[in-house]
Amino acid sequence: MASLPQLIEEDIERLEGELRDLLEKSDATTALIIDKGGFLITGQGDTRQFDLTTIAALASGAYMANQTIANLVHETSFNSIYQQGEKFSMFVMGVDENGLLVVIFKAQVSVGAVKYFAAPTVKRIAVQLQIAQERDPGVGLDLSELNLADPSEVFKRKT
Amino acid sequence: MAIINQATKELQVKIVYYGPAMGGKTTNLVQVHDHVQTAAGNKGKLVSLATSSDRTLFFDFLPIEAMSIKGFKAKFQLYTVPGQVIYNTTRQLVLRGVDGIVFVADSQYEKMAENVESFANLEDNLKTLRLNFAEIPYVLQYNKRDLPNVAPVEYLEFLLNNRDVQVPSFGATAHRCEGVFETLNMITRMLLHKYVSQSTPQYA
Repeated sequence: MASLPQLIEEDIERLEGELRDLLEKSDATTALIIDKGGFLITGQGDTRQFDLTTIAALASGAYMANQTIANLVHETSFNSIYQQGEKFSMFVMGVDENGLLVVIFKAQVSVGAVKYFAAPTVKRIAVQLQIAQERDPGVGLDLSELNLADPSEVFKRKT
Repeated sequence: MAIINQATKELQVKIVYYGPAMGGKTTNLVQVHDHVQTAAGNKGKLVSLATSSDRTLFFDFLPIEAMSIKGFKAKFQLYTVPGQVIYNTTRQLVLRGVDGIVFVADSQYEKMAENVESFANLEDNLKTLRLNFAEIPYVLQYNKRDLPNVAPVEYLEFLLNNRDVQVPSFGATAHRCEGVFETLNMITRMLLHKYVSQSTPQYA
């Protein structure tokens, strides 16, 4: 059995609860949990006005690139990036080895408040992801329900 | 590694197009973006982080939700890496969390050394990321078959597909969308097969 990172409803509910709590305290607009491979795991707040899938891919790339740059200048304590905007700003913080927290907030919202409240949030998110990681993978989805004998192609070209 | 979200019944999979510079990796994504048949809203924007001369600088990114498979939502994220040798650090970043790889080789004779070098570079980068190449599904695409100076497929197979386990390979002319979907469908099926076999309970 492979150790696929599988998230059950309980995980998602707790993670989303943490994000809602962060949004309420910090007055931020949108909060996401993504993984460093670029996947969006879940999000809360205003999730309609932004392209969250693309933000997840780019935010993870930006974080990883900045982390590499930090290493090149012998910085060992790198754990966040801040993009300052005129309308919306973005703060990305490392959760654990695989996860990142992304917070999008209006420019007039204090980045200090976002950082202050994000710090304990990432710790609680890390705990929940650890619980999910250690859970018996046997409780995960049964992908055998996918009918791979189906001869139709997954991706079809427009005719 | 793929993300399985049981709450939303989603499987998210990352496929990376790898290969030498100017081999046609970005062209593959452009063709998929332009020609894939999806329900409204299931195809994301093609994002290219490129230089002013359209050379890939960081990566190209295309999210697609595949046609529903037995009501199961499978989301695919297609990435390319920059092929130029100097961007190796960037290639390592993009490879993080990869589930499947499409190696796009340039079929022209004069590009053989670059093909082999890029393939060796892929192996090195996977080792650096502590990923086992033998466990990652990959396919080979021999692109630019329409050019006059191409090497025979058998020669490309000898150079690039000469390991213990041979993988599926496809001739392609990506700018005409020939071989593009065949390649993508094969890596997709290999990936889904992998996860199905991993998800089937093992009994002693």
